Amino acid sequence: MKKLSILLISAVISVGTGCSDFLEEDTRALLYGSDVLTTQNGLEAALTGAYRGLGQQWGMGFLHPSANAAILGGDDVTTHPGSNKADWREFDQFNVPATNQRSGAVYNGCYKAIQGANNVINNFDKTVGDKAAIDIIVGEAYFIRAFSYYWLTRFYGEIPLILAEEYSEDLLNIGKSSPEQVYELIVSDLKQAEILLPDAKRDWGRSNKGAAKAFLADVYLTMAGWPLMQTDKYDLAAAKAKEVMDNRALYGFNLLPTFAAVFENDPAVNGTVESIFQINGFAGGNGTANATYGNTTMPGEEGGWDDMFSEINFFNDFPEGPRKTATFRTAFGRPGAVKIPWQNSLTKHPYYQKWYIKGEILTSSISLPSVMMRYAHVLTIYAEAKARGTGGPDQLAYDALNDVRLRGWATGTPPLTMNDGLTPLQFAEEVVQERAWEFACERTRWFDLVRLEKVEEANANKHPDDLTPIGTITKSDYWFPLPYSDTSLNPNL
Amino acid sequence: MIGGIPKLMIQGTARWSIGNKVSCPEDDYLNVLFIDKPGSIMKQLYKYYGFSLLTSVLMMLTCGVYGSTAFSTSGESKAVRETISGTVRDSNGLTMPGVTVLLQGTTVGTVTNSSGQYTLQVPGPTGILEFSFIGYVTHEAPFNGSGAINVVLQEDIQGLEEVVVIGYGTQRKTDVTGSVSAISTREFAEQPISRVDQVLQGRAAGVQVTQAGGAPGGDVRVRIRGANSVLGNNDPLYVVDGFVGADFNTVNPNDIESIQVLKDAASTSIYGSRGANGVVIITTKKGMQGIKVTYEGQVNFSEVIKTLDILPAHEFAEIVNQRALGTGTTPPFSDAQIEEYRVNGGTDWQDLVYRKGSGHQQQLTVSGGGGKTTFLISGNFLDQKGIVENTDFKRYILRSNIATQVNENLSLRLNIAGTRLKNHNTGLFGNAGTPIVQAISWAPTTPAYGPDGFPTFVDVTGSVNRNPLDMLYDRQQDQERSTFNAIGGVNYKLPVEGLSLDVQLAINYLNGQNLTLQGQRVSNNNPSASRNTFEQITLQNTNALNYTRTFNEVHSISAVAALETQQFTNNSFSASANNIRFPNQLGYDNIGPNGAAVVGADFQKWTLLSLLGRANYSFMDKYLLTAAVRRDGSSKFLGDNRFSVFPSVAVGWRLSEENFVKNLKVFSDLKIRGSWGMTGSQAIGSYATISRYDVSPVFAFNNTGVVAGIYQGNPGNPNLKWETTKQIDLGIEMEFLEGKIKLEADYFKKSTTDLLLNVAIPRYAGGGNQTRNVGEIENKGFEFSLGGTPFESGDFRWESNFNLSTIRNKVVSLGGLERLGAGTGVGSGMSTTNEFMLIPGEPLGGYWGLNYLGTYKPDEADLAAQQGRFPGDPHYEDLNGDNAITTDDFQIIGRAFPKATGGWNNTFTYKTFTLNVFFQGVGGVDKLNYTRAAALSGSGDARQPTLTEIRDYYRPGNEDSDIPAFSRTYQPYTQSSRFLEKGDYVRLKNVSLSYVLPSALVSNKGAIRLFASATNVWTITEYKGVDPEASNVGSGTDTAMGIDYGAYPNAKTYTLGLNLSF
Repeated sequence: MKKLSILLISAVISVGTGCSDFLEEDTRALLYGSDVLTTQNGLEAALTGAYRGLGQQWGMGFLHPSANAAILGGDDVTTHPGSNKADWREFDQFNVPATNQRSGAVYNGCYKAIQGANNVINNFDKTVGDKAAIDIIVGEAYFIRAFSYYWLTRFYGEIPLILAEEYSEDLLNIGKSSPEQVYELIVSDLKQAEILLPDAKRDWGRSNKGAAKAFLADVYLTMAGWPLMQTDKYDLAAAKAKEVMDNRALYGFNLLPTFAAVFENDPAVNGTVESIFQINGFAGGNGTANATYGNTTMPGEEGGWDDMFSEINFFNDFPEGPRKTATFRTAFGRPGAVKIPWQNSLTKHPYYQKWYIKGEILTSSISLPSVMMRYAHVLTIYAEAKARGTGGPDQLAYDALNDVRLRGWATGTPPLTMNDGLTPLQFAEEVVQERAWEFACERTRWFDLVRLEKVEEANANKHPDDLTPIGTITKSDYWFPLPYSDTSLNPNL
Repeated sequence: MIGGIPKLMIQGTARWSIGNKVSCPEDDYLNVLFIDKPGSIMKQLYKYYGFSLLTSVLMMLTCGVYGSTAFSTSGESKAVRETISGTVRDSNGLTMPGVTVLLQGTTVGTVTNSSGQYTLQVPGPTGILEFSFIGYVTHEAPFNGSGAINVVLQEDIQGLEEVVVIGYGTQRKTDVTGSVSAISTREFAEQPISRVDQVLQGRAAGVQVTQAGGAPGGDVRVRIRGANSVLGNNDPLYVVDGFVGADFNTVNPNDIESIQVLKDAASTSIYGSRGANGVVIITTKKGMQGIKVTYEGQVNFSEVIKTLDILPAHEFAEIVNQRALGTGTTPPFSDAQIEEYRVNGGTDWQDLVYRKGSGHQQQLTVSGGGGKTTFLISGNFLDQKGIVENTDFKRYILRSNIATQVNENLSLRLNIAGTRLKNHNTGLFGNAGTPIVQAISWAPTTPAYGPDGFPTFVDVTGSVNRNPLDMLYDRQQDQERSTFNAIGGVNYKLPVEGLSLDVQLAINYLNGQNLTLQGQRVSNNNPSASRNTFEQITLQNTNALNYTRTFNEVHSISAVAALETQQFTNNSFSASANNIRFPNQLGYDNIGPNGAAVVGADFQKWTLLSLLGRANYSFMDKYLLTAAVRRDGSSKFLGDNRFSVFPSVAVGWRLSEENFVKNLKVFSDLKIRGSWGMTGSQAIGSYATISRYDVSPVFAFNNTGVVAGIYQGNPGNPNLKWETTKQIDLGIEMEFLEGKIKLEADYFKKSTTDLLLNVAIPRYAGGGNQTRNVGEIENKGFEFSLGGTPFESGDFRWESNFNLSTIRNKVVSLGGLERLGAGTGVGSGMSTTNEFMLIPGEPLGGYWGLNYLGTYKPDEADLAAQQGRFPGDPHYEDLNGDNAITTDDFQIIGRAFPKATGGWNNTFTYKTFTLNVFFQGVGGVDKLNYTRAAALSGSGDARQPTLTEIRDYYRPGNEDSDIPAFSRTYQPYTQSSRFLEKGDYVRLKNVSLSYVLPSALVSNKGAIRLFASATNVWTITEYKGVDPEASNVGSGTDTAMGIDYGAYPNAKTYTLGLNLSF
């Protein structure tokens, strides 16, 4: 027994003292530290993570109907006046509280993408690998960062400008940067992307040199309007757009022959030559399906959610032609059922055929891309910028506008010519109007109204069946309040 | 007799102690028979022998040869005239051997034999027989002539010297200086208990138990003295037979011998960094000498407490038409359709979702022992179908407890338990995507099934979400948990008087499987399935030195010092597949054929190294002192923060031992006690000091597949340390009328500093959150418990226990932050911001929302116009008067943490009938009723109001209504006081009746008990939802509880049972 007690006591002592590393953390399954991005694979994975911010179905980015809700202030779209659409109505009625969560997906996703892009941009110099491949990764990162800031500053105006990839406490008290500062970075990033990116996209869902130029043109066009009013940028916008147009074959861009082909929305098709930059959806992935098609823009009669549909005056004014046919859905009913004309429908509004999935599949998860810019944009950017810039519109501007216009309007519509006697301003206005029709419900009209300070005008004469603004629209309605989730954490916002 | 001490013949195991001072005639043995009963009879005799008190057992002490025949101490021989015989049983109907039967006023008597039978020859025709047995109320039975007198002895709880298990040791209840609630099995023996939390609910002051998930096997929130930690889990620490950190779900309540709840820091500091939330110590039963077999079978039937009042289809259609007119859209229903609904009715979705539940439980226990070894083997099977269709739960538990006394110094023990739990669809109730929410969101006008025979795919009128039937039947969310737990120990008496060494090893293995399936319909033609499997392995080694000694008969010392290590590892593997090709045939069981799959694997490990010690000193049983300390080292922290020390000290004064109190002749016992101590909480995960990448993000660059990426996860914090809770406790314990009435009251105040908070990181900085030590939180309150036997006469007895506790919970500081939001994710689509806000000075769990003032009235048109609204629109309080409802108008509008909780347990016994009536309630609590908000306001997934309440909506002629008009300017903030309701309730938690069959119907040694019981049968509450107790937020958080968004309600349950033992 004495032996046993000695054994037990010595066992106790050995357990207590024998393992000095007993309390060391075992981190074998963790990925952390500065050496993660030293490999090309690590850098590529970080880039993919950055993209994730732009596309997470119900969480972040643009595969999400929320990105559409926030542009309801345009005169092309409205929402249900009752139902469960209170937070959508707040945008349409210019009554957006900081607690409205519908623009949150863009806000959260863009900043998550920016953090990931910062990580790549700030650390690629330590990466060992093929320089050409690394350049492409870095170029895409610059593009993502510029793209994200561009959306953020257009939605929110003054925003925190974050260039660090790592969290630090200083970030908790950071102030807002002015749109000037934000645009300076956007331009600088897009110029970097322009240099680093290849002519051809690595995948459908990535950017290339042409995409960087196209976005830079769009950014210049916006910088020339409200709030920066840097009208000298019109020339830069036109020049940059022209670079894209001149090299469209190199970059793989073109206009599709018919408007309907643009919105065929066949999930089996990865994209078209008209897509400058798209965020791909894949229904088989984990949160990678696209929810901007199907349910969200379909009427209740067809099992849709009535989230967004056309304003009535906009529809009535819309020029007849193949584009109007392909843009709107004017009678509702599931395949095989009796169609109810929109005037007799529950919401008494036409809907957007553009976002129907081929085969009229009723779902909110589909493998279709969110096209963030079409080649038609580039053409209209050139046309408008040229018109507003030095020397007014040239023949190329007219051609660019006509390419878009004649595809959309009824057969036999004459092209606009320099002999029509339009002043440069009138021509520019013509382009803006053409953009409204061409890009109806494509997250474009709202930004045009804002940069041209036409929000009030566009919302002045609503059809009686459309929602009207609550109170008077002022410049303060041009930007949304920063989300309460962040302003409540940082008193300097 | 040797030196005045009786000899012992031990028939029990080594885990025992000696009862009353008994002397036996020279050369007779003192029999010590251990009896399978809770409570104990620990009197002072143990001092003679110096045995340590290891557990509480009840013993029978008799002299002479066990089961001997009549004795007569006088040796007088009388003329024998009458013979009386009979059987003595306990209240469970079990025969009682060794009961002393004595003719009153004489020395004529006997002892019952091993079958509880006695035969006594008495000298006269009349008299009174006294039946006595230690630990039982002495029973007097008059007789008149020969015949049979059968007796049922009632246990005498008042007379027992309770021993409580206090963690790494035991203590006499009278010596306890901390705040400890003991629950004995007899307190819940009459209820159909299937899980430990049902034992705790309402029975111990200061312990709040909320059955938040009413599903079988559903989630339950147990809180001891409030919630200390904002971040961490505030569940108490469960210790089962010395295994620290057990899962109470794996404990079979039938195996429980006793439960002790340690509440104050003096009691819990011995558990150091895991003690702050209180400790529940569960001791399982041991085998006894002889053999005993018990079988219990139960069947139950259950139904939903109530359903919500939904409009009949035709009325719903009329309301929808009215709303369409109000908002300028087309009324969807024609008069003819409405008439058709009036005649034919519509769909009662709730009826399709709820069902009558049923279940059964089988329990078999075999215990026994011979020689030096005892064993207990028990098996339990529970099969419960929930009140929501296609939800059920199965549980299997097998336990074996074996102990052997090798010799007088050495004993060994081994307890092994295996558990398997299987939850089927009981976890589907987290948010709007639940059948319960959809049952009140889908329009009554929409048929349940389409012409194709399948559930209607789309509700064109009501919800935008899936058909509740598809949610019920076209998806699965199953959880399987298999646990193996083994605890082995050796106890050795060292060659120093009073000193012993105890070495214990424990292994806990948990294998978990989370299995999900989203079928073709519910997934919108993208069926998916996932399997997530993990294994958690916990290894524990505890080496303790115990010392117990009494010096000069007045200085009583017991001490323990221990070294303990624990190591936790978690290995997990997951696979999820989308576009699975055979959702119906293969389900989640074979997800190989798929369109795309994601796999993941993870490994986690953490360790805890602890030194602990405690000393109890008692002087003349009057003055009591306890001091304890534990030093915990944790792998979760870095550098100096790795080790923390948690000390405590407690004093007690048994005033009833003082002459000036004795002379009052008021108290049979009176003790005051006070304690101070520090504890920590494990409110932190592994690796929180490290900033690491989240490796889960995937992205699609085309329409055929995804690419895996990484992005920055939550930033680590290298400066983390334990949060520390300081607690003071003042208590008084009183007993009157020889223990017939007991009153215990405590005041406590807990202050938690270095409060761990998950401080949200702004989205612009990457989002997520960082764990930090900031802030301070305070909990204080009173606890009262009053127990006793208000009435007792003859065969009738009423025992009653009442307890009430109050709690004040306050956020003292947030480390400089003005406020900190806490959300749930539950109200996705309903909430516009965090539903809860922490603000210094306000309680934890304060609801954050707008104050609803009703509708704008016609004479308030100007006021309404200032905000672009009209009479009939909702009127929210504009706190800052800026004529706009913004985030500046949000305020604390209620509280989710109850101010008071209580329970009242009554047991009435008459002969072998026992009636148990148990009430339980909470007060001072609000609930955010999102279910009602959805069904009344057209929010979230619900597009139209469905509740009958909507009949009263504001319209011309009904301007008094505070249900807003149907307008285009209607802003339905669901996060407002409009949907905040009082959650107070008093509930008849249990009423049950049991009956032990007369012995004539049963064989000599056996017993049959029948019982019937009803649970949750009657609730008094103003709450408009189904169940005030139910919530969607799991027990892991206290900042966000109290939301009801289609939470799985508790059921009314009726149980019938049968208990056989022999």
